[in-house]
Amino acid sequence: MARGSSQSQTTSSAGGAARPGTVGPRGTPAATAGMRRRRPGGGGGGSSGFTGGGGGSNMLRFYTDDAPGLKMSPTVVLVMSLCFIGFVTALHVFGKLYRYRAGGTS
Amino acid sequence: MAGGFRVLHLVRPFLAFLPEVQSADRKIPFREKVIYTVISLFIFLVCSQLPLYGIHSTTGADPFYWMRVILASNRGTVMELGITPIVTSGLVMQLLVGSKIIEVDNSVREDRALLNGAQKLLGILIAIGEAVAYVLSGMYGSVSQLGTGNAILIILQLFFAGIIVICLDELLQKGYGLGSGISLFIATNICENIIWKAFSPTTINSGRGAEFEGAVIALFHLLITRTDKVRALREAFYRQNLPNVTNLLATVLVFLIVIYFQGFRVVLPVRSKNARGQQGSYPIKLFYTSNMPIILQSALVSNLYFISQLLYRRYSGNFLVNLLGKWKESEYSGGQFIPVGGIAYYITAPSSLADMAANPFHALFYIVFMLSACALFSKTWIEVSGSSARDVAKQLKEQQMVMPGHRESNLQKELNRYIPTAAAFGGMCIGALTVLADFMGAIGSGTGILLAVTIIYQYFETFEKERASELGFFGL
Repeated sequence: MARGSSQSQTTSSAGGAARPGTVGPRGTPAATAGMRRRRPGGGGGGSSGFTGGGGGSNMLRFYTDDAPGLKMSPTVVLVMSLCFIGFVTALHVFGKLYRYRAGGTS
Repeated sequence: MAGGFRVLHLVRPFLAFLPEVQSADRKIPFREKVIYTVISLFIFLVCSQLPLYGIHSTTGADPFYWMRVILASNRGTVMELGITPIVTSGLVMQLLVGSKIIEVDNSVREDRALLNGAQKLLGILIAIGEAVAYVLSGMYGSVSQLGTGNAILIILQLFFAGIIVICLDELLQKGYGLGSGISLFIATNICENIIWKAFSPTTINSGRGAEFEGAVIALFHLLITRTDKVRALREAFYRQNLPNVTNLLATVLVFLIVIYFQGFRVVLPVRSKNARGQQGSYPIKLFYTSNMPIILQSALVSNLYFISQLLYRRYSGNFLVNLLGKWKESEYSGGQFIPVGGIAYYITAPSSLADMAANPFHALFYIVFMLSACALFSKTWIEVSGSSARDVAKQLKEQQMVMPGHRESNLQKELNRYIPTAAAFGGMCIGALTVLADFMGAIGSGTGILLAVTIIYQYFETFEKERASELGFFGL
């Protein structure tokens, strides 16, 4: 069901902006009025949503779909990167210490 | 589907081992997105300052010198490879798909997943391959000097850095951050470069006393110390070996031109079928594919340079190798190799207007190459990235939008009148601007500037959009 919930990023970017438009009018007239007001205002909702859809090619979109694989949450990615940085730093420190020690004894 | 061996299926066994960031299962608030983006950027910046462990020296030729800025890599640091693996694998996949060597049915879920997996796998493989090539080619000192253990450690570090870049990019693209990792890293690197060239406080002694490297600082320094103010000004504006004020002004000018062109668009009116009176517009920008053509073009060129230099050093006598590129050590920056012959020479920007006048054929070839490559890449990219007329028509249909005065079936034809033209012409314009920037000597190469400006503009747009949608949610 994880697949269903995240059908794809492409549609959600465009659909997200369209939703307030299509759901809104069924409600109160006030909501409709609000929607109408927003529409001409620089195309706040609608047109910018389209730009997201059509102009999505602007960015390199490689990984928009879910694929089976080692699932990682974003926090894990960030922590992993920090660990890597820490590891390389530690290598430097130990390298220096080791060389110092080796230089001292010989 | 009936039988037949498909290349894509080779990827399937590896799919389970590829790192994969979960998609966001909720809408990430704007503030959180900014935080994720900033942390990723921070990690990237730290990585591009952190020196690799175990290297001996980074002197000697640097085959990627030309592309450092664009590929967001930094010599001798963990980010040695930068985004090269991702971009190259993207380019290769695009070419394979475009030439129908790999058949992908974009409407099938599994195919898309496999394609993504293949792209990632290829990226990782390229990272390993390049790391091994770097170490073996003696970029950090010869292998016997390094020792086997250190050599393996270097390869491991580069490999992990590659994976981290891939993961960070995916993290940002999956909706946790703003924009894409690749663009973010490129833009940061280029801006850093420009700021550094403008305000660098390093002094360099070039025979006429100490000079500041930064153009602006040098201007003030020369104005204050020299007695002949006119000559000081001329010096600051036209010095050859270091960044001068003209370069800086050219950079600003290109920046403004690109921003101006970004506004060019054809707006197609659309309206909703369901909600009456709901008007919208579908803008088709001149820069429809934005900076993609240049990214792909620079990836192509940088790989060509890399291969050509490697080959030239080994077999410089061979006719084919010489045809690909002849290299010579540059007089200015020590150890840099510059192309002096072969294809590599003709696709490199002429260094100055004087050089252009001396070799008109070179300049002409370069211009033609840039324009046609950009236009071609732009046209293929819309097919691959799913922003061709067919895809856009489908998208509009899904959102129940129609163009007033046209039948629904006509939508694609109508879009087809604009989109391919916009893509090809926009790609050409981008190429032309790059050439212009190169000829004017803008800081950080024409390609770099163009990339930076378009990316910054995209970010600007994203910010606006995010703000608008936040407001929209609160408004309801």
